[in-house]
Amino acid sequence: MPDTVVNLVDSPALGVLIGIAGVMAALTVNVLFLVWLERKVSAWIQRRMGPTEVGPFGMLQTIADMLKLISKQLITPRHVDKPLYHIAPVFVFVPVVAAASLFPFDEHVSLQNLDIGLVLVFAFGGLGIVGIFMAGWGSNNKYALLGAMRAVAQNISYEIPLILSTLSVVLMVNAMGDANTNGMNLAQVASMQHDKGFWFVLVQPVAAVIYFIAALAETNRAPFDIPEAESELVAGFHTEYSGMRFALFFFAEYSNMFIVAMVATVLFFGGWSGPLLPGAMWFFLKTYAIVFVMIWIRWTFPRLRFDQLMSFCWLVLIPLSILNLLVTAFIARAV
Amino acid sequence: MDGYTQLAWYLALGIALGVVVLLIPQLLSPRVRGRQTESTYECGVDTIGSSWMRFSISYYVFALIFVAFEVDILYLFPAALAYPESGWRGFTEVAIFLVILSLAILYAWRKGVFLWQAHRAPQSRSTISESAGAETVR
Repeated sequence: MPDTVVNLVDSPALGVLIGIAGVMAALTVNVLFLVWLERKVSAWIQRRMGPTEVGPFGMLQTIADMLKLISKQLITPRHVDKPLYHIAPVFVFVPVVAAASLFPFDEHVSLQNLDIGLVLVFAFGGLGIVGIFMAGWGSNNKYALLGAMRAVAQNISYEIPLILSTLSVVLMVNAMGDANTNGMNLAQVASMQHDKGFWFVLVQPVAAVIYFIAALAETNRAPFDIPEAESELVAGFHTEYSGMRFALFFFAEYSNMFIVAMVATVLFFGGWSGPLLPGAMWFFLKTYAIVFVMIWIRWTFPRLRFDQLMSFCWLVLIPLSILNLLVTAFIARAV
Repeated sequence: MDGYTQLAWYLALGIALGVVVLLIPQLLSPRVRGRQTESTYECGVDTIGSSWMRFSISYYVFALIFVAFEVDILYLFPAALAYPESGWRGFTEVAIFLVILSLAILYAWRKGVFLWQAHRAPQSRSTISESAGAETVR
């Protein structure tokens, strides 16, 4: 089991400070990199150049963008619901930071090692949805409200297959382990795949596919990006936000991509386990491979219509994940 | 300090960071105000009315099914943890639980919730489930 940073430095206050500094640094670098990557990949898919001017291959473009956002005026529209409007960006941002600290990114070190890590990740995801709705309702803007309504309906619906698919992994881990095994502890799931010598995507392929589709919808990524469909809703729930407030939403959105990819890495792709390279490197390599596929999909598939989106979730994904859970439970019992 | 206290600290520091990040532009940014600066965005034309209006009920129906589902699924986590010791009885119980859950989907499906018909039946004055149900059973 990995040691937490607090145990390693032997001082709770220092450990927490190091931890949060680490999380913030990692997430910020991740967002700056992902935005650049997304623009480059989309350019490559559409046979354009993408950003080229600032820095080598335009890599400093997002840093320039960030500096611009920091120096922008914070505009509060006249008719908004002030408390909701002001709290919403922070409310979306905070759960992301907390959720990102829960992952066992290495064999020996982690920031947190909680027994209900998996459930907490989803709980923080749920909190983010509340923030999105606060933003949409508080903005007093029709696009924002429409976007928020769609975002909430979509996110809560796809959370069910998301959790059900991970549940079959949890059940399987418990069935394979001994009495002390806890499938909700992310570090244990990763180390079990290392010990058994195979990735769980091989034994739970259906769960992995369902998880991936639901994760795309959870992060409002195309083909499920109806909550912020640019061509019909301007920017969805954050239409009225500009400057740093908008940056916080953007930060949360890209960090969420990173978080769902990390969950997939831990549950289905062996976490830190891998030959030669250090564990943390494997972990982030796998995570970014998954994120790359998510970007690839966004620039390949068109959007679904909203009713198709919802019925696909409730009539295909959820029954399939329930079935998968039942089969898993049966096999775990029979073997 | 146990893990959950640590997590609370992460949350607290996260809030502080979020607030600080929003304070920085207040120091750096220009403050300009024109006639339209603070108006609500609606594609360039003046806004018509408030946005806090009545909204399609279909969304609330999804929220209702979701609440029922999500809470029930959380119960499955402890069930999954205790599963190895529970024998075939455990499997039967999980199966019954899941079948009852699936009935909820089946019910909502028969009621036409997933067909999104609320918008297409303006003549109906009855409740959404009734009107949608009448349309879909057909």
